[in-house]
Formats: sequence, structure tokens, C-alpha cells
Amino acid sequence: MPRISLKITGAQGQGVNSVGEICAKGLKHAGYCVFGYREYMSLIKGGHSSYQLDVSDQKIESNETTVDILVAFNHHGLERNINEVKDGGIVIHQTPMWKFSPEIQKTLTKRNIAVVYLPTEDILKKINGKPILGNVLITSVVWTLLGRDIDDLKGLVRAQFGHKGEELVKMNFTCIDEGVAFTKSAMSGDVDVSAELPPPKPQWKNHMLITGSQAMGLGIIHAGCRLYVGYPMTPASPLLSFIADEQNRTGMVIKQAEDEITAAQVMSGAMLMGTRAATGTSGGGFDLMTETLSLNGIIENPSVFVLAQRPGPGTGLPTWTAQGDLLLAIGSSHGEFARCVLSVSDAQDCFDLMPEAFNLAEEFQTPVIVMTDKQTAEALFTQATYDQKKAEIRRGKLVTAPAELKKLKSTDRYDPTVKDGISPRWLPGADAATFCSQGDEHNADGTVDETSANAIAQMEKRMKKMKALERVLPEPELLEVKNEKLKVKNDDLDLLIVSWGSNKGVIMDILSSAPSWARDRRVAYLHYTYLWPMKTAKLEKLMESAKQTILVECNHGGQLGMVIKMSCGIDIKEKILKYDGRPFFYDELLSNLSKLVTRNP
Amino acid sequence: MPIPLQSTGPSMKDYHCATQCSWCDGCGDYGIWTAIKRALVELHIEPTKTLMCFDVGCHGNGSDKLAGYRFHGLHGRVIPFAAGAKLSNMNLPVIAFGGDGASFSEGIGHFVHGIRSNYPITFILHNNANYGLTTGQASSLTWQDQPMNTAPNGMPEHTLNSMDFVFSLEPTFVARGFSGNIPQLTQIFKAAIEHQKHGFAFVDVLQACPTYNHFATHEYLLEKCYDANTEGHDPHCEAAKARALAMDSSKRIATGILYQREDVPNFYDRLKPREGKKTQCVDEVGKVDVGEFMEELV
Repeated sequence: MPRISLKITGAQGQGVNSVGEICAKGLKHAGYCVFGYREYMSLIKGGHSSYQLDVSDQKIESNETTVDILVAFNHHGLERNINEVKDGGIVIHQTPMWKFSPEIQKTLTKRNIAVVYLPTEDILKKINGKPILGNVLITSVVWTLLGRDIDDLKGLVRAQFGHKGEELVKMNFTCIDEGVAFTKSAMSGDVDVSAELPPPKPQWKNHMLITGSQAMGLGIIHAGCRLYVGYPMTPASPLLSFIADEQNRTGMVIKQAEDEITAAQVMSGAMLMGTRAATGTSGGGFDLMTETLSLNGIIENPSVFVLAQRPGPGTGLPTWTAQGDLLLAIGSSHGEFARCVLSVSDAQDCFDLMPEAFNLAEEFQTPVIVMTDKQTAEALFTQATYDQKKAEIRRGKLVTAPAELKKLKSTDRYDPTVKDGISPRWLPGADAATFCSQGDEHNADGTVDETSANAIAQMEKRMKKMKALERVLPEPELLEVKNEKLKVKNDDLDLLIVSWGSNKGVIMDILSSAPSWARDRRVAYLHYTYLWPMKTAKLEKLMESAKQTILVECNHGGQLGMVIKMSCGIDIKEKILKYDGRPFFYDELLSNLSKLVTRNP
Repeated sequence: MPIPLQSTGPSMKDYHCATQCSWCDGCGDYGIWTAIKRALVELHIEPTKTLMCFDVGCHGNGSDKLAGYRFHGLHGRVIPFAAGAKLSNMNLPVIAFGGDGASFSEGIGHFVHGIRSNYPITFILHNNANYGLTTGQASSLTWQDQPMNTAPNGMPEHTLNSMDFVFSLEPTFVARGFSGNIPQLTQIFKAAIEHQKHGFAFVDVLQACPTYNHFATHEYLLEKCYDANTEGHDPHCEAAKARALAMDSSKRIATGILYQREDVPNFYDRLKPREGKKTQCVDEVGKVDVGEFMEELV
């Protein structure tokens, strides 16, 4: 799979993101699949940050550790990121009189890396442009280096600034022309500074550029969620911001709560009243929500929690990624109760899984935890527009018809004798017998009942829902790449990769690239979307014949492996684990897999 | 006092529940329990047309001692739950009950933001100045130096001046009642439920805890409480005047509706996205077309 990568680095607030975004937009419009990745620190101004775009004519959902083009807004990028440039790559910077140490310079020369100084200040002075135009100038340089049509870029700029008047547009165009002229003169010199992109494919043009958070936000809106409440915490904040920003169009009730406990309680109250509501947070905030999670377990209240992971413990690495909260999602909260845990992996299921999360919550009248991580939440995906026919609204045993309501008795609400433990649910305000949504152990109508017989009956009622959930949840999905280079000779698996969440993108990119160790062999990826209750039948069957199984996770303990072992006794011994706050990079995981994969004759 | 004859709407019987009360003899909860039922009946609110939300404490044990849609949740957390419920269906009166232990310690943040947000709910504080259910520990409202369970020498901290605190949050409705005066309490509750259209109605109900509170007893409260409204206090007065009246309990304790203003919109009415909406969030669950959003991302 042909791919190139581009990284823009600079101080936070310097315009790194805007250059990254406009490049992404332009490349997508030109017919490329783009995958964007941001690294930044937990501060507002000044911290070193980067925006990386990996680009291909084929589907791409991963980043490389090294890049073809490095743009350094300031000298920090030249110091810190210079080793991330590929052989034959290009560095563009705007630090006057910059000199690398002789040692580094020697390596750069040897590795055929071109370093180009862009005299931004001089150029802007010449055209009498404001410093903010520096971003447009850099974009036009990158654009030219990538061999893109400059009219495309001008079109984008007009679309973005057109409403601010023709003068501003003209100024931007002048700036773009300067950037083109500069790059062309640099290219005519001795150094070869043009990065090769494969020919574009028009299919990408009508795709969206969307972050995981936006995708999840759209999924939540689409699912008929009418109230969203949250407390700011990275990496769940972009979801709150997106939904809040759109409130005037969606008509939703949005509440920024005073803390995560409040957020969880407001959501729970709204759900009890009968609308669809959700809350989102990261690990630390989720810790605070766990008492409420347990409450929803006993009152059998549908509830939806989004858990956006970042590395802990404590405040940890606030703006980085991890998959360290799987055991938290499964095991948090006091007492035993039914719950469902699932995880998104990309912009497609960020959207698709949200209606499902609400459906499961309402059908099983219990908490559902939707896991994501910083990598998914903030990555930029090239995504086809969603099929809006697909989603269903399933509200389970919710009774609303007046005739049916009339028939209800108070003791139907928590009737322990019902099949699957799922009793009828009706809403405050309904003309029916009333009940208490009781947080103490209770009998069928919500009256407190501490007798032994009742405690057993109600515990068993609620836990039956776990079995029922297990029956309806899909098994993990087996993903294989059909590729001419991968001529499979046998039906048995040579290699089975097991993982979950955001690792899907990088694993599938690797399989799509047909690495040498995968040729003539059957290699497949088993992706876990539904994590609790854990389904292992398919895994057990596959592992019976698979010659090798490797677990891949972004945590220290191999938490999915632990849950699998706890559920069926299988211990996946070979693991690739990462816990430095970074996602798996394409080349990195490829190399790790290559080392582990055994090639039996 | 003339009792209005009621020919329509629910009667006290409709709020009746077979579960027997389990409070101590002489507990103030009996009076509050009776008054809330009475208030709902007099407001013609059917048991199916309200949601009563209970915190955890002795009062919370009342959650299964009356009819109606009810919720019994976690210690200290009743206000945000009730707010979430109400914002989803503005047609139902939502009444939250909490004790002084929960509301002025573990859940004080919710209390602060409940008043500040001016949620359209009624909050009834069962104020017996201690943690009754957990066997008589000091709350923030227990008198300083009172020996209590876990504090044989009294609490080192000073007593929180609850009314000073409440008024500092710019409330829109503040009332105080006494569990021993059920007719007055009924009228206060009725006003507090009706105030929901204007925002957060706070009712501080002083009540006896015959088992653990040996300082502010029923007799003490009976002696000190007086109806300020019948003595001419106008709740629509300046906040400062009401605050001073509410805070001064040195000689007598003013009860009744101490402060009310109707000119501040409640939380829901300030939400732009809900302007002009005829439906409630509970009516709106259904697939929402996101085509417009997707177009903008292409």
C-alpha cells in the first residue's frame, strides 16, 4: 500500500492544527484517503505539539513513526523531530540562521534529507501580509511539494474566508502564489524536494473528514438522544464540545455539570423519566461515576456512559492514549449487576454503535459503557457518509400504549419471575399503577425488602439479564484481507491476531500491505467490539486450529487477554503491549509482529 | 381553618400505601410525610403525575410509604437526579427530598449548583440537624459542642449557617417550616411545588429527631417557631431583608415563605434549543436525520 506522511510541528497556538486541517481537507478533495493524528501537551500555549497526516490512495487508518515531510514552525521541531524524517525526506523550517550540529548535518546528508529554509517573515513583509498569513504560506509550500494543483488550494481558501470579503481572499491568494514561487525555486536547485503521491482516486472526494468524537456525537444525535451532560475531561471533552456546539440545531438539552457525579446522576434521572440521555468522561471522571453506575444496576435504569481512555493512574498523561480501563469498565462499582461494555474502533462504529448502545440499555434496562480512547476520539478519519437506514430504535419492554398501561400492576415493575429477568418498564407520568425505582434491595413493586428469599430472587432476576445479553451480543468479528499477494493455501489459520478498540486501524493497514510473513499464509484479525459479557466461543474455535495467536493491546497487563482467560481459561501467551501514551504506529507494530511471527516450513 | 371541599382530583387515600411507617415515635418525618401528601392532594396532582425523588437517610425510608412514581437513590445525590428527570419532562412536578447530612456535606456541591442553576424542581430539606439513620453523628448543621456519636466532645468545627449560605447563592424561593405544624407546612409545600415554573424552590423543614437530637427538640421548635407571614412578612421583599430574618434564630425562628421572586427564568426556560418547543425530551426519542451535519463534513 503506497503511503506518505507529513508532520507539522510547533508551539501550541501557533497554527499547527489549522495547517494540518487545511492540508487534510485539500488532500481529501484531491482524491486521497487521509488519517490525521495529533500530539499535544496538557497546556494551552507554547507546548510542543504536532499534527501528522498519513496519506494514501487506499484506505488508511494508521500513522508511521517516520515522515516524508516535516514542517517545523519553530526550532524545537528541528531539535526534537529531526530523527523522525525518512531517508530522502524533506524538512521545511522558518528559523533564520539555523545550523544543525556537524554530527546531525552529516547524518542528514548521508540520509539524503533536504532541509529547506522558508523565509516567512521576509515574504510576508514583501507582500505586506499579517503574521497569521504564515499558515497559508506554509500550506501552499507543502501543497506544491506534494505536487497538488494550486487552484484546488485557492478554492479551499475561498470557501473558508470568502465570507470575510474579497480583499482578504486576494491577500491569501497572493500569499499562496509566493509560496508556490518559493517552492518552485527551491525545487529547481540541487536538492530533490518533491514527495511522490500515487495517482488520486475519486472515491475519496465525497467522503467526510471526521474525528472519532464528531462521529460519536453524530451517532448519539442519530440515536434520538435528547439530553447530554458532561464535565470537561480530555479526551471526552471534544464529544461534549461537539454536541454542545450543535445544540441549537438539534434542540437537545445540554448540561455542563459541576462534576462527574452530577453528570452521571442527571443522565440517570433523564433516562428514568424516559428520554434518551448520555454522559461521557475519561477514567478519573468515570471513577466518580461508578456509584451511580451501580445504582442504575439495582434500579434497572437504562443508562449510557462513554468512557474515553487516556493513560492513568492519577492524572497520568492527560492528552495521550491508552486502553488501560477495560478492567475498570467491566469491574468498577460495588455489588454485582448486569452491564454491557463495548468499544468503538473507528469513525464507522463510533457512529453505528451509539444507537446500539441506547438500544441495549433500554432492552436490558441496565448500564451500557461505550469505550473509546484518545486515539479514536481525536484522530481524523476519511469516512464515507453514514447509511442512515441502518440504525434501529429498540426500546425493549417499554410500555406506552394506554390499554397496556392500564393492565399493569405495581408488582410488574420488578417481577422476579419474568423470562430473562427483563420486566416491563413504564415511565413516570404514565396512567398506570405506580412503583418506586428503589436503590435499596426491593421486592416486585420497589418496596424495601431485606428478606433472604427476596434478596435471592431479585439478584437472580437481575443477573439473568447477563445471560440474556450474552445470547444476543455478536461474537467478535474475524477480519481478513483479500489480497492477490496473499494466496492462501489452507483453511486453517496460520496466524490469529486478537485485539480491540483503536488498534483495528493499524492492524488492518498492516494486513492490507501484505507483509512478507503473511504471504501464502492465512492470517486473520479477531476484533472484539463487545467486551462484556465476554463471548469466547468463536475465539476458542479459531484457536483450536490457529498455529499462532498474538494479543495486541495498548496497556501493560494485556487486559483483554485477562478477561478472555477469566472467561474461558485460554491464556494468549504471545502479547504485544504498549503503554507509553502513544498508539501503535504502522511501522512499529509491523516490526513487532514480524519479530514474533513464526514461519514454520 | 376552613378546609376546602374538593370534588375532583385525588384524595389522601390515593396516596395511601400499605407499607407501614418505620420511623421512631415522635419523628418529624411523620409530619412532613403527611403534609406532602396533603399538598399534592390540594394541588389536585394525581400520584401518577409526579415524581418524588428521595435521598438516603431516615426520610428516604419514606420512599415506599406512599403511592406515586418514586425514586430512592444515593446519599447526597438526589438533586442532580431530580433535575435530569425534570428537564426531560417539564410537565411533571418533581419533588426532591434530602436530609441535612447529605445536603450540607456529601452533596453540598449539588445543592449549590441546584440553586445556582435554578432548576425547576422543589427541594425539601429534612433538617433534624444530625445523621439519624447512621445513628446520630454530627452533621454540618449540628450545634457546635453537642456531644454526638463519633464526637463525644462535640464537633471541633463551627456549625454551618445554612440560611446565610443559601441566600448567598441567590435563590428564587426559600421557605422554612416545622414538622409539628402540618397545616402551615402543607401551604408551604404547595407554594414550593407551584414555584417550579419559576425555578428551584428550597424548603428547610426543621424537624425533631427524638432519638439523637437532644438540643433542637420538638418542644424547643414548638416554642421558638412562629409564622412570619401571618406577622406581615412579605416574601417578595429585598433578599437582604429576608436573609436577615432567616438567619436570626436567637430569640425566635421565622417560618413560612421567607423569600420568593418570579422574575428569574428557570434553567430550562433559559435553554435556547428548547425555545418554542411544544414537545418534551421524553416525547422526542426517535431517529434524528444527521444528513445536514454529514454534508458539512464532506
